[in-house]
Amino acid sequence: MKQILGIDLGSRSVKIAVRNGEDVAFRVFDTAKFFSELGKPSDAGFVLDREKLDIDDDCPVHATGYGRNSLNIANAEIVPEIQAHTLGAIEQTGIEDFTLIDLGGQDSKVVRVEAGRVAGFRMNDRCAASAGRYIENMAGVLGMSLEEISLHWENPEKLTSTCAVFGESEIVAKLAKGVDRARLASGVNLQIVNKISAELEAMPPRIIVLVGGVALNIAIPRLLAQKFKISVIIPEFPQFNAVIGLVSGK
Amino acid sequence: MIERVGITTTIPQEVIWAAGKIPVDLNNLFLASDENDEFLARAYRDGYPRTICAWIAGIYGAVLERDDIDTVVFVSQGDCSNTHALAETLEDRGIRVIPFAFPYDGNRHLLHAEILNLARIFEVPWNKVEEWFFRLDEPRRLVRRIDEMAHIENKITSIENHLWHVSTSDFNGNINEFSHECRGLIREAELRPPIIDRLRLGYIGVPPIFPEIFTFLDDLGARVVFTEVQRQFSIPFIEDDILTAYAQYTYPTSVFRRIADIYDKIKARKLDGIIHYTQSFCFRQIEDLLFKKYLPVPVLTIEGESQFELDERTRVRIEAFVEMLAQK
Repeated sequence: MKQILGIDLGSRSVKIAVRNGEDVAFRVFDTAKFFSELGKPSDAGFVLDREKLDIDDDCPVHATGYGRNSLNIANAEIVPEIQAHTLGAIEQTGIEDFTLIDLGGQDSKVVRVEAGRVAGFRMNDRCAASAGRYIENMAGVLGMSLEEISLHWENPEKLTSTCAVFGESEIVAKLAKGVDRARLASGVNLQIVNKISAELEAMPPRIIVLVGGVALNIAIPRLLAQKFKISVIIPEFPQFNAVIGLVSGK
Repeated sequence: MIERVGITTTIPQEVIWAAGKIPVDLNNLFLASDENDEFLARAYRDGYPRTICAWIAGIYGAVLERDDIDTVVFVSQGDCSNTHALAETLEDRGIRVIPFAFPYDGNRHLLHAEILNLARIFEVPWNKVEEWFFRLDEPRRLVRRIDEMAHIENKITSIENHLWHVSTSDFNGNINEFSHECRGLIREAELRPPIIDRLRLGYIGVPPIFPEIFTFLDDLGARVVFTEVQRQFSIPFIEDDILTAYAQYTYPTSVFRRIADIYDKIKARKLDGIIHYTQSFCFRQIEDLLFKKYLPVPVLTIEGESQFELDERTRVRIEAFVEMLAQK
């Protein structure tokens, strides 16, 4: 297979995959840095600096992500994000019938994939409650790193707020009452699972493929598997799933 | 100057025309204005909660910030209870408010009593109301023709379909001009080659706060050939009396009557999917589950709040939905 470049434009970072034959290399850029250093705007859209990206002049570019409607990349083939994720999950796992969960910084998506095709999907709307940012903020209040908070799933404290802002005061109040930090960390992880459960129950899941940055959290796949009594697969590169789909050649 | 009477949604506007006044659909007034952000800001300043439908807050602000409307007919049954509070807060600011209740089941006798009551308030005899029903037949017929050209001849875009239907609640305040422009579009569109679509969609729910959705769908090749509520606004029923016509109007009645109408159009117009627009904080968001349960094609639910441009998140959803349907 020839060289292909995949770009996933996110609000926080831009993820890039370059495929050369069987080899795929990943890079991550800060979104602002990507647009200031790796190309320049033109009438036809954002023109990539192919030298800095280390790609051939004729290397095809496939792009996806939230910024793609407003920040169009010159000569790029645009792939809808859910499509890119589906292709990435198929490429990474080799299975074609599954429920894909993408948990990102401000997003949660559930996609039902049947015979390698999107058969239905649900996304959060208007509110990023219970997405990655919620865990980040709660970890901050608990004085834990993201790695540390992700180690807790046992004996969760019951929490009510899933809001990434109001959740903080709930945690503070519990800390003041002397609730154990480990139990609060478990509670935070369980909140993510509870929130996504409504979407999952609307489309009863089969095998779950979990992708997005939140898939790096160790507690969440365990809690999901426990709740739905099914296996949860985390592919090798959950945070690069969409760009893997873009360069899969499918 | 001819008096303008605000309406909170479609009502039997014949009564207002018969009284020699001009109906103004306050939703269109709010959305079409350059000052719509200012209208919302006014409502919030006066104490409207942020977690209330932007249409309600926007209408409140629009009526008070503009000085040319002192009477508003509001739908007191068949729309939402937020409308009640809208009317109350407008009344408190010195606006004359007049209720109009659509019978929940479309009951003809109750409907007759309600229209009669409205006619009494506006001091219009019944035969004048009926006469205006016939006078409005022409623009309504022209919009029906546009609808046919959308779904049968494939010559009308989604945005044209939306705009012409949504304007029928008050005919932009000028029936002759409206009809004239309609005829112009029909003449022009008849000469167009048919549009080649990837998909044929239906749009259900209230008109969107971001009409850009229709041009976006046109650009994706997923043309809307059925706009449910906008079409209902045009009272598209070929009847020769006003009561039989308005008794079939589904929007302010049971959701099951709406479902029957939509189901029928999905089959007749061969729709591939439905986009259900909901407004944040609206009770109709609950009814979404019934549409998903009973409609025979995939339904994508989207939500608008108070931003007037189509946001990235909604674009992502729509694109994914279109791709999904195109693959089927």
